[in-house]
Amino acid sequence: MVGPEDAGACSGRNPKLLPVPAPDPVGQDRKVIRATGGFGGGVGAVEPPEEADEEEEADEEEETPPRQLLQRYLAAAGEQLEPGLCYCPLPAGQAGAPPPSAAPRSDACLLGSGSKHRGAEVADGRAPRHEGMTNGDSGFLPGRDCRDLEEARGLARAGGRESRRRRPYGRLRLEGPGDEDADGAGSPSDWASPLEDPLRSCCLVAADAQEPEGAGSDSGDSPASSCSSSEDSEQRGVGAGGPEEGAPPATSAERTNGGAEPRLGFSDIHFNSRNTFQVSRGQSARDHLPPAGPPVPLPAAEQGPAGASARARRSGGFADFFTRNLFPKRTKELKSVVHSAPGWKLFGKVPPRENLQKTSKIIQQEYEARTGRTCKPPPQSSRRKNFEFEPLSTTALILEDRPSNLPAKSVEEALRHRQEYDEMVAEAKKREIKEAHKRKRIMKERFKQEENIASAMVIWINEILPNWEVMRSTRRVRELWWQGLPPSVRGKVWSLAVGNELNITPELYEIFLSRAKERWKSFSETSSENDTEGVSVADREASLELIKLDISRTFPSLYIFQKGGPYHDVLHSILGAYTCYRPDVGYVQGMSFIAAVLILNLEEADAFIAFANLLNKPCQLAFFRVDHSMMLKYFATFEVFFEENLSKLFLHFKSYSLTPDIYLIDWIFTLYSKSLPLDLACRVWDVFCRDGEEFLFRTGLGILRLYEDILLQMDFIHIAQFLTKLPEDITSEKLFSCIAAIQMQNSTKKWTQVFASVMKDIKEGDKNSSPALKS
Amino acid sequence: MAKAYDHLFKLLLIGDSGVGKTCLIIRFAEDNFNNTYISTIGIDFKIRTVDIEGKKIKLQVWDTAGQERFKTITTAYYRGAMGIILVYDITDEKSFENIQNWMKSIKENASAGVERLLLGNKCDMEAKRKVQKEQADKAFSSLARDILLKSGGRRSGNGNKPPSTDLKTCDKKNTNKCSLG
Repeated sequence: MVGPEDAGACSGRNPKLLPVPAPDPVGQDRKVIRATGGFGGGVGAVEPPEEADEEEEADEEEETPPRQLLQRYLAAAGEQLEPGLCYCPLPAGQAGAPPPSAAPRSDACLLGSGSKHRGAEVADGRAPRHEGMTNGDSGFLPGRDCRDLEEARGLARAGGRESRRRRPYGRLRLEGPGDEDADGAGSPSDWASPLEDPLRSCCLVAADAQEPEGAGSDSGDSPASSCSSSEDSEQRGVGAGGPEEGAPPATSAERTNGGAEPRLGFSDIHFNSRNTFQVSRGQSARDHLPPAGPPVPLPAAEQGPAGASARARRSGGFADFFTRNLFPKRTKELKSVVHSAPGWKLFGKVPPRENLQKTSKIIQQEYEARTGRTCKPPPQSSRRKNFEFEPLSTTALILEDRPSNLPAKSVEEALRHRQEYDEMVAEAKKREIKEAHKRKRIMKERFKQEENIASAMVIWINEILPNWEVMRSTRRVRELWWQGLPPSVRGKVWSLAVGNELNITPELYEIFLSRAKERWKSFSETSSENDTEGVSVADREASLELIKLDISRTFPSLYIFQKGGPYHDVLHSILGAYTCYRPDVGYVQGMSFIAAVLILNLEEADAFIAFANLLNKPCQLAFFRVDHSMMLKYFATFEVFFEENLSKLFLHFKSYSLTPDIYLIDWIFTLYSKSLPLDLACRVWDVFCRDGEEFLFRTGLGILRLYEDILLQMDFIHIAQFLTKLPEDITSEKLFSCIAAIQMQNSTKKWTQVFASVMKDIKEGDKNSSPALKS
Repeated sequence: MAKAYDHLFKLLLIGDSGVGKTCLIIRFAEDNFNNTYISTIGIDFKIRTVDIEGKKIKLQVWDTAGQERFKTITTAYYRGAMGIILVYDITDEKSFENIQNWMKSIKENASAGVERLLLGNKCDMEAKRKVQKEQADKAFSSLARDILLKSGGRRSGNGNKPPSTDLKTCDKKNTNKCSLG
């Protein structure tokens, strides 16, 4: 199918390094055109394919922005790149001072992009069955793009100075029409578009990152990778052709992805990034990496052998990085990135293989022309519109004709391949639709939830809070309460529910706080010469030290209580003031979590008041004073209800002599704020404020019930490990339905009554309930 | 459940708060290091199976809370432990001084023949070292069976030098002794 022109044209341009058949300009152009047609309306950035010819010029024009980017990036990430590896050494004059912001990010970017890249490759090579190939590709592509662009840039700029270095990678790219397009397209206004930002930065980074990788590691790698990338892009391009003409890119992307998983969206973005990339280049790497989707496998089959193997080779930890570092941080950008999906012209840039270059449409046309009949092109193309995302890569292998130097497929074979392809597409579509529905449903639920919260908030604010004492125990309020408090009133309700038996005022808090501050001061001044006062002083100091240590270990993932974080000092103050207020209790590990949760919901003084009063409740006092016998009683009472509610599991635990202290200590000390996801913990706190200590134990039983089936299969150590580190995906619906199913009524006795009788029993000398706690 | 091991050992990890017990054990059991640790409340558990001389040894590690206050709770867990790992922080003299107290708790609460292992943690912070190795050797040389090993809790720079290798060797000795005795 490949026109002779293709082969000829390409060869000149293609670097030898690429194990790919020479790309042909014509093919590229065609492809480009198609792509443009498909996406064209949407992206302003995308230039008409014709511009490809002007690539060089375009490059020159646009040089500056990308360069600066690169420079900044390099400056920032300088340590990471091997000096020799940096392509595009920039003229000194051009190296503007990197914006301060750029530096820290760029590191991240580097890492991310590199990993992304790799991950993508790996994925590609590895997991053919995933529909997600796009993702993988996308991850891969951006790097490519950037590189290309950069190279192009560099070329234009440096006037071949750096060309040597660049070459190994992506020579191809430079020449590809896509590049040109992009370059030409990169009108300043486009760059400015905010949407592009993340993409841009990503690309840039990717490009940089790629460098060291390719150059540094195995030389063989880079060519292979570039080749594969080009393939990918090609495939993409093919797919891209599908999207309806005139549809704005964003829309099409969204449509296909359905706003679905970030990954999908992301992937789209990526390929698009070829075009976009350029556009965005102009700006700084401000946004660095867009969240990379987990590397989604591209069907291996589709890759050229070289590409596949290269990818396979590269597998490894990079995928991890990718998901770990990039993804979580930048989820928000997904959307914007999606919007930026421009056209597919860029693919033209990277015309590695002849066959790859063709878009499906072209292939179809050719096919038709050859077979002399129309092979349901219209439906197909329309169908494909919806699929740009995935089947693209598939297309390449299945639909494309063989390279011109190989015998062409027989008609049957071509037909069969087409049919197979159609099936794959149909399946992919089905999956997509299913996922879209699911997403829709989830969104609906979320909206509903939000609405509920909003309406509940109104009720709380307008009706309940003003009449707190009257309404707090009404059935309606209790029910509403169980649903979870709206975050906006949560702190208020907690305060009211916990009360202030201790009559602490904000002024009192200030007094204790200043006392604490004095103590810290004197402590730091006389840290070495205070052995005079004996143990108690040493103990108190240890307490102060421990507070410092623990603050940084409180919700470390939130980064708000750590040193330099917004609530670090508040947390420190509250804990310090408390140790002055209640020297008899002092600071006990676990308190920092309770204080932190309160700080998240209340003002400082109110948080302190709630904190002190909360810790003054009998159960908390028993635990934080580490009052053994009292703790034993709580455990014993818990076991009564445990046996009542979950007798099978109870016996199972008994058979391993697994006592409740092993898991309950952590749960009760921190009121679940350490063991459950924070939002869920807050919901537990809500009802804990309503129902009191009993609910803490009920929650514990709810957790056991939720995981009963799993726990029944485990032995001692696994149960212990499981319960001291609960799964993170625990959801509030499930947990609360389990908690609701726990009856806190032992025959006719309620928690308090059972507790009272346990107290009595123990007093009477029955001392062997929780053996682990006996000492 | 099929028995997937030849021997099962319960190991206990004790030492002052913040010396890096949890880090150490996470490194040991999961071979990763994370700077953001959460203080242990009560007790945590980790499992690791190691191969020693062709035998599968399953190690149950009980990681305890370090705060003095919790000692009353955690001493209950000494019972049945076959090996106890005492951890101190080489940058914190106090944590080393406290080893004596921890030794005392062992004497009072653990089974008689329990194996002990002394670990100086945070060796990556050599610049801040306050406790010299010789000090530790000297102070605890009387405890004939103690093995002194230093392990860096965190990776230094880019080089991943997991303490797990160190740990493994000590555990090996430990467990060997356990199995002998």
